[in-house]
Amino acid sequence: MISVVGLSHKSAAIEVREQFALPADRIPALLTALVARPEVGEALLVSTCNRVELVAAARSGAPLEAVARASREVLSALAPGAPREALYALTGGGAVKHLFGVASSLDSLVLGEPQILGQVKEAYEVARRAGTVGAVLHRTLSRALHTAKLVRSRTAIGSGQVSVPSVAAELARRIFGDLAGHSVLLVGSGEMAETVARLLQTSGARLLVVGRTPEKVSALARSVGGEARLWADLVATLGEVDVVITSTSAPGHVIELEHVKQAQKKRRGRSQFFIDLAVPRDVSPKVQGRDGVFLYNIDDLSQVVADSLKTRSREALQAQEIIDAEVKSFDRWADAEQATPIIVALRERIRAALGAELSRSMKGRLRHLGEPERDALETMLDASVNRLLHGPTTRLREAATLADLDTPSLVELTAAIEHVFALDEEPEADLALSEPRASAAPSAVPRPEAPELASAPDVAKLGAR
Amino acid sequence: MDALATVAFYLGVIAYSAACTLFFLDLARQGSPASRSTWGPRVLSAAALLHTVHVITASLVTHRCPVESLHFVLSFSALVAVAAFLVARKFASLDAVGVIVAPVALTFMVGAQFVGVEVTQDPLISRPLLVMHVTANVLGVGLFVVAGAASLLFLVLERRLQNKRGAGLGSRLPSLDTLDGAMHRLLMSGFPLLTFGVVTGALFSRHLEDASGAALARTLFGFLTWIVLAAVLLLRRIAGVRGRRAAYGTLAGVLCVLLVVAVYAVRPGGHGT
Repeated sequence: MISVVGLSHKSAAIEVREQFALPADRIPALLTALVARPEVGEALLVSTCNRVELVAAARSGAPLEAVARASREVLSALAPGAPREALYALTGGGAVKHLFGVASSLDSLVLGEPQILGQVKEAYEVARRAGTVGAVLHRTLSRALHTAKLVRSRTAIGSGQVSVPSVAAELARRIFGDLAGHSVLLVGSGEMAETVARLLQTSGARLLVVGRTPEKVSALARSVGGEARLWADLVATLGEVDVVITSTSAPGHVIELEHVKQAQKKRRGRSQFFIDLAVPRDVSPKVQGRDGVFLYNIDDLSQVVADSLKTRSREALQAQEIIDAEVKSFDRWADAEQATPIIVALRERIRAALGAELSRSMKGRLRHLGEPERDALETMLDASVNRLLHGPTTRLREAATLADLDTPSLVELTAAIEHVFALDEEPEADLALSEPRASAAPSAVPRPEAPELASAPDVAKLGAR
Repeated sequence: MDALATVAFYLGVIAYSAACTLFFLDLARQGSPASRSTWGPRVLSAAALLHTVHVITASLVTHRCPVESLHFVLSFSALVAVAAFLVARKFASLDAVGVIVAPVALTFMVGAQFVGVEVTQDPLISRPLLVMHVTANVLGVGLFVVAGAASLLFLVLERRLQNKRGAGLGSRLPSLDTLDGAMHRLLMSGFPLLTFGVVTGALFSRHLEDASGAALARTLFGFLTWIVLAAVLLLRRIAGVRGRRAAYGTLAGVLCVLLVVAVYAVRPGGHGT
């Protein structure tokens, strides 16, 4: 069905991964080059900062191993110097399970992160625009995204925050709600503190910056779009702000209990949130527990992160069960699809034979018929073919999905049908020339162009087809 | 009409129960308040509608004005609480408060069936004044029930944040500021009604020469409620007392209100008996 070849944060270090990074505008060309290979029918590339994976489907009759080989060659050409063992290759059920896991964020660096779903969708869209996606990848990606949505809605895989800055920002929201109109004081500098400040600022908070060195403070205030204050104004400024982020290298506390008491008085009891990211700590622990004052140091925030990750890991087990069930359901569909070529061939042969006879009659005894009557006969012919082939189609699909020793296998049935109907031989000239009309009933031939990814209900409809 | 009142009652009970379940489930689910489900409030609105139908039809059947029957007074208080909640959630993200309001409304609606003793009116008390007294109290109780629910949730969330137990992350509770603001606004809205109820109650008590113990307890708790809630509002205004202490004060005041209601329910003496 499909193969997945690539590398991720689990198989390769960033030094290796970055060699495979491909600018977005070069992806269509890469995909086109891959599907130009005789064994590859469809392809798409999932490219994020943590993974580069080529997902490909075989051209009819080609073995998946050959598809994986072709994908590996195309990928390797991107980074000739990279070690070959960095690339992994998965085929068949393993590849489907992997893809479903990737879309569900079980294979992400940060378990349960939501961005991957959008990235997989984007990968599909890029491939669709490049014309390298057909029925197989459309169906596979639809099911992968459907599975990811199931995992997200039925488990708590995305619960909690899993980075210190996002935890701090979320806590601020738990206290103040909408941060628009609130003010944040950044005391000192530090990468994490600045990230927290920026996160709060993007939520609408006003930013003030205080530091010991005026030049540094001004520069920092400019870079984060805040207002610079003097170190001497620290205590006075405390009363103005709702959130205080501290990250100085001071050897002792820079904010004592007395300072907080003064600030509280000025703030008339309004809540205040202290985020102390410094080691040694900047805010006196005596502040902890005061009514309306919330103090979190780096250990507290890290503990919240650890708790969230623990919850997500627990949820991952449940998510894996959902994925296994979905892969099983997908496998059944994929098995049934194996019967498609013989069904299509049989339908074409029978339709052509009947069409040829009808055409002959139209030129002979039935030549007096007008256009409406001819149309009615064509419609009747299509309906007859559908009716005639309903039973064989069902049995062929059953043979493809059921491994029953008492009934003939798909291979046996296919061989028998090919032999009985001489499908392996060229049709007679008049049969080959006879084409069904445009209004003929829909055939089981996959559509040449992949549609946009269906929403969940549409996916369900596809599954029922 | 009687059948309609009965059907509306049972359907109302079912709808309130469903709303309780939906609010609990929504609170238990992971996610931010923004990702909350709207089914709880919708079902609660339907329950309130059925409740209203029940109150109106039942009062028509019994030929009693709702404010003259303790049964209806209790039932109507629950209705006001639900209405106050449904209005408040339009202005702030307060859906989680429904987890307390819905069960309280259900309890009041069902509990009212067991205290259906009529208010016996003292001939010395002006009827219009009595109607206004009861109406003010009913509206006040409704608003204070929601304020109490908000203060309870405030204390839960504040405790979680102070103890850093998961820090309330992923919780569907509203933010502390939202709960604090809701508490304050509901108290501010209910306080004039409470004041009116207490003043008119005091006027009535002058007519009660041989007041029963229950009537005295009601009056006492009524005054206590007024003092506690007045203190909460005053301290917030002049000393900036808010947050945890204000929540405790609000909760104490609301408990006094509920005690007054309980005294009515246990020993319904009405005004003037």
